Amino acid sequence: MPAQLKAGLAIVGAIVLLSLLAPWIAPHPWDTISIRTRFQPPSTTYWFGTDDYGRDVLSRLLMGGRLSLAMGIGATVISVLFGVPVGLIAGYVGGKVDEVLMRIADVLMAVPAIMLGLLVLAVTPPALWKTAVAVGFVYVPLIARVARSVTLGLANVEFVEAARARAESAAHILFREILPNAWPPLIVEASLRVTYAILLGSALSFLGLGAQPPSSDWGLMISEARAFIDRAPWIALAPGLAMCLLVIGINLIGDGLRERLDPRLKSQLARV
Amino acid sequence: MPLSIEGLTICYRVPGGTITALSEVSLSVPNGRTLAVVGESGSGKSTVALAVMGLLASEAQIPAGRIFYEGANLLALSPEARRRLRGARIAMVFQDPFSVLNPSLRIAEQVGEGLVYHKGFSKQAALARATQLLHEVGIAEAAAVGNAYPHELSGGMRQRALIAGALAAEPEFLILDEPTTALDVTIEAQILDLLEELKRRRGLSMLFISHNLGVVRRIADEVAVLYAGEVVESGPTVEVFERPLHPYTKGLLAAIPRLAARQARLAAIPGRLLDLRQLPAGCRFEPRCPFAQSPCDEPQTLGGLSGTRAVRCVRAGELMSARWPALGAPPPLAPRRASVDTPPVVATEEVSKTFTLSRGLAALTFEGWRPAIRPLRVRAIDGVTLTIASGEVLGLVGESGSGKTTLGRAILRLVDPDGGSIHIAGKDVTRTPQAALAPMRRIAQIVFQNPDSSLNPRKTVGEIIARPLQRFAIVPAGEVANRVHALLDRVRLPAHYADRYPHQMSGGEKQRVGIARAIATDPQFIVCDEPVSALDVSVQAAIVNLLADLRDRLHVAYLLISHDISVVAYLADRIAVMYRGRIVENGASEAVLAPPHHPYTEVLLSAVPTITRADHDRIRLPLEARRSSKATGCVFAGRCPRRIGPICDTVEPPVRQAGPDHSMACHLPLAPTTQ
Repeated sequence: MPAQLKAGLAIVGAIVLLSLLAPWIAPHPWDTISIRTRFQPPSTTYWFGTDDYGRDVLSRLLMGGRLSLAMGIGATVISVLFGVPVGLIAGYVGGKVDEVLMRIADVLMAVPAIMLGLLVLAVTPPALWKTAVAVGFVYVPLIARVARSVTLGLANVEFVEAARARAESAAHILFREILPNAWPPLIVEASLRVTYAILLGSALSFLGLGAQPPSSDWGLMISEARAFIDRAPWIALAPGLAMCLLVIGINLIGDGLRERLDPRLKSQLARV
Repeated sequence: MPLSIEGLTICYRVPGGTITALSEVSLSVPNGRTLAVVGESGSGKSTVALAVMGLLASEAQIPAGRIFYEGANLLALSPEARRRLRGARIAMVFQDPFSVLNPSLRIAEQVGEGLVYHKGFSKQAALARATQLLHEVGIAEAAAVGNAYPHELSGGMRQRALIAGALAAEPEFLILDEPTTALDVTIEAQILDLLEELKRRRGLSMLFISHNLGVVRRIADEVAVLYAGEVVESGPTVEVFERPLHPYTKGLLAAIPRLAARQARLAAIPGRLLDLRQLPAGCRFEPRCPFAQSPCDEPQTLGGLSGTRAVRCVRAGELMSARWPALGAPPPLAPRRASVDTPPVVATEEVSKTFTLSRGLAALTFEGWRPAIRPLRVRAIDGVTLTIASGEVLGLVGESGSGKTTLGRAILRLVDPDGGSIHIAGKDVTRTPQAALAPMRRIAQIVFQNPDSSLNPRKTVGEIIARPLQRFAIVPAGEVANRVHALLDRVRLPAHYADRYPHQMSGGEKQRVGIARAIATDPQFIVCDEPVSALDVSVQAAIVNLLADLRDRLHVAYLLISHDISVVAYLADRIAVMYRGRIVENGASEAVLAPPHHPYTEVLLSAVPTITRADHDRIRLPLEARRSSKATGCVFAGRCPRRIGPICDTVEPPVRQAGPDHSMACHLPLAPTTQ
């Protein structure tokens, strides 16, 4: 296993574990407001300090990890669920179908992701699950693009031709013959999408369109801390650093997977 | 002695251990001579070339050995000193001319590159010299070719350009790693001629790496046979080929199909290459050797025998005159039925297919000032009429680009033809929609060329073979596993292979799985598209034998597509010769292989390098087709060595009967030529 993959798994694993155990390990209630403990700097009681309502930043950080992870993973699952079939069909059927699907994808990709997310959220009252769907939707064309290019490479390989020579249905060829071979690059792409989804979800929360107060999404925490950044920088710093750490961890996993799954690395030994 | 290798051992670190690619290999190339290193894939022959060049991968380690070039040990030189030697004094020509050239640089730039670097030429002078070099390697329009990009040239031209590039810095030593493997036989013959001429003219010494014994026989003065990283036999080429001493060499030579003597079954070498991670102490060939006895367990030494020859086999002396055991003909089966009583399995009439290479804006050209859309079209098949009788093997030969693969695909409707008609088992399937083709697909199957890409790498062998059984509900669900085992047995693979994944098998075993998948539906007809050309010689013979057995046992008809006329000649009842989308000659195998020939067939036959004759009269094709100005004449007219005159360019040759079951399309008189 490449070293990057190990490091990435360790970081992300720790964050996931801490977030899951948050209700039990959080040192303070995450939503209890107290005037007396406002703007406490980091201390032995409040490791990461307290915010403007006197809430413990560490506890909120742990609880918020759940929302951010749910956002990242949920949005990625949605984008893979819709993007992969679109890409497979475009790549395998080709011709006009491919043209139409990919031009739609181009249009969606030309609009800035945050605008697209805003558009989806602007028409309905904000809720976290809607943000996840919106972010997932934004990444459908990207996943579809990757799935299409992998499919193009596989569509004329001889084992697919053998399936056609057995009069297999298109569904069988796409999902049983091509898809199992397309997973490695798709997994790598999806792992990188998780990162972007968390960032975009946080950005939408920051703009007030994602998680709503008093919940403690990381993006929302940064947004709320903005006003006090000169007086109490720790309130913004903690979720900011946590997000950096998670992004780095997931990127390490993505790079590690790429290295592990890349067939070119195996073929170097074929010359022997 | 410009190059000598002494006791060279090379290991590669791989997941799960260390592969010993070469074990104490000693070779030497005398001045002005050519040494061929022969071996199958995995024998370590490319590692020899890379070690001499100093281009080994980073996983390689050299625990022992020395490589002397002109008295200096290359392995002791600094990387900088080796870099100066590389290209300037020792040059290398790689296998695949299609991927070695940089697609975005002009040919002359790539040929002259070494001059700028090693000899300090100015760019201008290097380009001028490159043109001379291109001329030297037999390219007539050297200036134009030098100005072209690689994709504009044919494979043969690219290989010439690569050789020119290797010669640029005036090296004394040339390493050629399978230089003709990717080329057609007619082009291969030209490249070999060129190498011989260059060797004579420049006094080059050459290290020639190849798996093709016919090519080696033609080009090499001496030969070293490599097996599992060890030299098992070496000596002068003619002697080694005429009196092979090591059992492996005997086996390799026996496994080659010969045009002259068509046997019932080819001799094959059983088994597979041993695991190079765990080498036995004794003879490495022992598990596959029919002559193995008790002393073979002990370490074998490369012993000198009669002066110039050496062999690594204790029993070589007593086996001196022993021959590789020939496989007897299989028990006679009921004679195959004549084609009259049943309708043909396949009948095509005037089938054509044109591919459009550029369409839309890419096809925009200007005629004077007027824009016009002129799509670039290629006629892959052009009016092909064929019939294949039940249980008959029709061999289809031709060079790459002749349309043979497209024809095979078109018959199975994997490619939709533009015109003509296709009947399979009496039913017209020319325009049947794909969704309604299932009955045809059950009786007509395909075996592919490349065993690596024809099996889905994510499925087990059992799943791969079971799928057609389930798809066509050939056996009840409970019986599938049994039938899979029966099919594995039929292609001579053990039943436990059902749990393996393709990457856990050798090339020959994968090809057997591909064949098992094709025969799973009990087809009447199989398109075999170059079924053995990606395989090693020893494995190739076993697959050809298997195809012959299946034909006899299952009474299945084949369309056997191959560029190698000797494989086709061995298996086929009838042979069709294809050139640029047209069948130029068609008839019973005996009739096609014997005169009178179509001029193109004659060229193909004479270009096949054989292991029995060192040299013989060959007919050479002109390198580039002189493009016939009108599209009306004979397709072969531009390259034909027997062109009669303007009639060939203007009038399409009539298809004439040269015998009872033998037709050809040519203007030449049909009287048997005295040749």
